[in-house]
Amino acid sequence: MTRFFRQGAVIARRDFLAVVKTPTFLLFLLAPVFMLMFGWLGGSGASQVAEGASSLSRIAVIASDRDADGLRTADNRMRDYGDAPRLMVVPAGPDPMEQAKTLLETPGADYLAVMYGPLEEPVIQHEESSLKAAIWLQGVADQVLLSRRRGPPDTLSRPAFQPLKAQRAGVGMQRQTGYVAVVTVFMLTLLLAGQAVGMLAEEKSNKVIEILAAAVPLEAVFLGKLVGMFGVALLFVAFWSGLLSGIMLLVPGTGDELAALAPAIGLPAFLVLGALYFTMAYMLLGAVFLGIGGLAATVRDIQMLSFPVTILQMAMFGLATVAAGQPQTSMARFAEIFPLSSPYAMAARGAHDPSLTPHLLALAWQSLWVAIIIWIAARLFRHGVLRSGGGLFAMIGRKAR
Amino acid sequence: MQPGKRTIGVPSDFPVQADNLVKSFGKARAVNGVSLAVPQGMIYGVLGPNGAGKTTTLRMLLGIIDPDSGTRSLLGCSHPRDASDRVGYLPEERGLYPNMTAQDAIAFMGALRGLDWKTGQARGAVMMEAAGLGHAITRKIKQMSKGMAQLVQLLGSLVHQPELIVLDEPFSGLDPINQQHLEALVRGERDRGATILFSTHVMSHAERLCDRLAIIAGGERRFEGTVAEARGTLALRAHYVPCARSDEARALLPADAVREGEAWLFTVPPEGPEGLVTRLISAGHGIAGLTIERPGLHEAFVRIVGEARAQGDAA
Repeated sequence: MTRFFRQGAVIARRDFLAVVKTPTFLLFLLAPVFMLMFGWLGGSGASQVAEGASSLSRIAVIASDRDADGLRTADNRMRDYGDAPRLMVVPAGPDPMEQAKTLLETPGADYLAVMYGPLEEPVIQHEESSLKAAIWLQGVADQVLLSRRRGPPDTLSRPAFQPLKAQRAGVGMQRQTGYVAVVTVFMLTLLLAGQAVGMLAEEKSNKVIEILAAAVPLEAVFLGKLVGMFGVALLFVAFWSGLLSGIMLLVPGTGDELAALAPAIGLPAFLVLGALYFTMAYMLLGAVFLGIGGLAATVRDIQMLSFPVTILQMAMFGLATVAAGQPQTSMARFAEIFPLSSPYAMAARGAHDPSLTPHLLALAWQSLWVAIIIWIAARLFRHGVLRSGGGLFAMIGRKAR
Repeated sequence: MQPGKRTIGVPSDFPVQADNLVKSFGKARAVNGVSLAVPQGMIYGVLGPNGAGKTTTLRMLLGIIDPDSGTRSLLGCSHPRDASDRVGYLPEERGLYPNMTAQDAIAFMGALRGLDWKTGQARGAVMMEAAGLGHAITRKIKQMSKGMAQLVQLLGSLVHQPELIVLDEPFSGLDPINQQHLEALVRGERDRGATILFSTHVMSHAERLCDRLAIIAGGERRFEGTVAEARGTLALRAHYVPCARSDEARALLPADAVREGEAWLFTVPPEGPEGLVTRLISAGHGIAGLTIERPGLHEAFVRIVGEARAQGDAA
């Protein structure tokens, strides 16, 4: 067994250095900068569009001068409790219904709802999708009428607001923490493990595979390659974690959201488990991708075969998300046991379950599946590429006999 | 070699043993019952035409692929991979990582076989100096010529000082100088005590190097023995020039005699040339020239492979 791991380590070292020593690694390392930059550009553009759209939206009241001030005051007061498009008070003319129609059809102005008529029985015209805006106008009318009945509006209570940090995590917070864990592990795995798909292409193209296959068991080759690429992924994660930690230390307030996470198992254990589950998720998905890449003869084959795996991975993410949102249900149990979703679902479990034993069992279970997938991938590679043995199913049949 | 029973490192006079190996790829049978026993400390050649099953046989012996049936033993191990740290292998399809330096490539191949990386680098440098590649120790593989890279790969397969060296078509792609260098290297390894098993279809190398050889054709072993024994499968050939140019001597010569200019070429009769010589002199044809020689390995190979093909065609 020592020899097996030693051989795997030789391959892991070679692969790690082969990636890290190239200039393209710097590009890989800094890829999130470009991602964030373009994300920020896209996001700011989208938010400008959204802001522009919302700033054009209006609601209107066609009212007499007597009601105008009261309507404005009521609208301002209501904005303490909620938000609505800007209110325009239009002096009432001889035909308020026609005025309302004109406002709603005015090009360039986006009137969502227009109210006219006596405040006791107003008519509110609105777009089908803008019922909330219409109800807001109803509220404004109510406030005016109430103030007339009871005198000037005022608040009855005099609260003293005292913001406190949460002493105990609520269920909602725990679920949110679980969801953060699922998303983080999934995104990192999806971003980094996909590289495994092309890892055997080099050996196949430059014929080194024959040397490796003669000297080392294929399982050790696969494990070594996975570990080598995981080393690259780890370097990537360490670099960005270090950078973000530094920013959090130097810029006050930037780490508040992380500090607000309140997993049941405790934040340090939760972070350690997150790292371990990222490792397992990477190994599981990487082993699948590696196996596929090993079998593929062309880049097109790789793309065609990778697609179903990515879809499967998305399904695993969905499953784990459900598990994070509905812990202790049978769906959550299934997600925790099914090998490919297990790392994500178990990462989420740490958020609401303080016991450590299930995690130890899960890590052992996931390790077993990493070994099984590597074993299957190596057999398929031996059969498909080196053309040896009777294939997976024939081999299983032989073992059974 | 008991089928199914795993043996690890049982000492044997035969580092490589194969018994009735069979391997098919789809419907095509690449190797059909090949048996080999390579004695310790010898240079053993596996000869055969293209597509004879040499590479498949070597790959089965090394455990790269598994036979459909038959047993094999490598350095006393029934599972060849158990002995992989004691074996050096140069595959027919050469391959190195192009971005590695020559020294690192050698160290990497040694590390795969259990050699410490630093030791591998140090030995690699020494071996490259000895092979006349001292100037290219830190050069990347992609910056080397094909022949140089091939030599580096060979050194990589020897760096861990293996007990058994398996070379698949080692001379292909090498210029005559490097071929000579490789022959010397192989002899040097044999003198060190290693056993060398190599495949080739170039008879001159086999004739010069092999202590023993096997000829494979059509997936089956057709001959096993020394070079002399292979040549011994063919009768002596005579090159006779009578004193007078005349066809009258033809009547006294064996049936396969053919004329080539002044001379007659024929197979020496099994009882020897003495009686024939006496008859030719008595009949007055005289002897202006007579050369009797044993055919080379090339002729023996051609005959053995030819017979195999004829059998295959007949079947």
